[in-house]
Amino acid sequence: MSQNIVTEEKVFEELKKAIVETLRVDADSIKPESSLINDLGAESLDFLDINYRLEQAFGMKMARHFVLEHVEEMFGEGSAIDDDGQLTEKAVELLKIRFGDQMGPLEPGMDMDEVPALVTAQSISGGVMDILASLPEKCTHCGAQQWTSEDGIKIKCGSCGEPAVFSNGDDLIKDWLTKVQEEKKIF
Amino acid sequence: MHSLEGKVALITGSSRGIGQAIARKLAAAGADIVINYRRTAGSSFAQAEELNKEIEAMGRKTLMVQADISEKSSVKTLFAKISETFGTLDYLILNAAKAPFKPIEKLLERELRQLVETNYMGNIFCIQGAIPLMEAKGGRIVFISSLGSRYYNPSYPLGSMKAAMESIVRDCAESLREKKVSVNAVCGGIVKTDSFKVLRQYLENVDKLPDDLIVTPDEIADVVSFLCSPASRGITGQTIVVDKGLSNSLYRSA
Repeated sequence: MSQNIVTEEKVFEELKKAIVETLRVDADSIKPESSLINDLGAESLDFLDINYRLEQAFGMKMARHFVLEHVEEMFGEGSAIDDDGQLTEKAVELLKIRFGDQMGPLEPGMDMDEVPALVTAQSISGGVMDILASLPEKCTHCGAQQWTSEDGIKIKCGSCGEPAVFSNGDDLIKDWLTKVQEEKKIF
Repeated sequence: MHSLEGKVALITGSSRGIGQAIARKLAAAGADIVINYRRTAGSSFAQAEELNKEIEAMGRKTLMVQADISEKSSVKTLFAKISETFGTLDYLILNAAKAPFKPIEKLLERELRQLVETNYMGNIFCIQGAIPLMEAKGGRIVFISSLGSRYYNPSYPLGSMKAAMESIVRDCAESLREKKVSVNAVCGGIVKTDSFKVLRQYLENVDKLPDDLIVTPDEIADVVSFLCSPASRGITGQTIVVDKGLSNSLYRSA
């Protein structure tokens, strides 16, 4: 079920907070389309820091591995990134399905090292929303259907008070890949 | 006080974390410092520049060199620059590391090659590059290892490279004996550097470990400084564990 307790605005607000704390940039400089690397000066380790802060805030687990890493694990090495470290046509097709215009321009032959720079604030908050949307209908502890939140960030059961349990980001990516592969047979 | 006065130290990967703390420590002990970093932009480059200024302000000579140790040509350039600037090298601190975090059996060929190229071959390239600069008057090589060399850590393939390097420390301590180069390692416990950000995503609740089991970069750097100082002249081929006793005890009350 798609949860409607934590709003997209709230997620973006928390993401901004996480970015400000990690990168020490001005909150106003963070736009949905900002590339964390190109516009905000992030490095790969900073992504982990930002993810960690989001996990603490929302009580969930972000994906540890990027979608293309999952592709190579599921469909074999070389399926997304060729021997020269460049994106395959299939990888680009897939990323376009997943991110639409949320990511910067994508082309086959692009160096894999350039991909992280395409991650925008919007693509991260989209990932958070996906995880929050995995909120089960009923509380896994007491079975009640009374999700609630005091701060609009952390969801808990209104009956037993236990925190909500979400699917983790990596599992959601794998589920999504399985579904897309069934429908489109890209790989 | 300034026991390393007039000596030259190269610390690989010294823009941040433990490497940065070692550079600062050896500079405080009097050594001139070669700061090595991999990326030419972003926050690690900014940190390297900051460190450079800080060490210059201490009255030491510095040299900043961008080099990816996994590439032999890059390492050659690194040592050519050191030779040009200082004409010598006294201490080589093998600190740089880079690795994916996933179980060994899930590593792609590309990741596996990168793991070995940076953390094994890269360190050997550096040892090979340092020897001609140390040969005339001897030197010290210190490798920065971690407990992953001997204990299981989830999603930590770097541990196997640390184990290989501890073995190399033993080997080179003997093969470089004639050249009066001592080779040792410092094996760190859990340190809260930037790498800890990665670690805490794979080790559930690691951030709940009591502070008295967490090692600081400065505590690692102190032992490295000791291994560079005359006081440690009797030690070679050893790996010294600096972990606040984390690995010492089978049982701890919750």
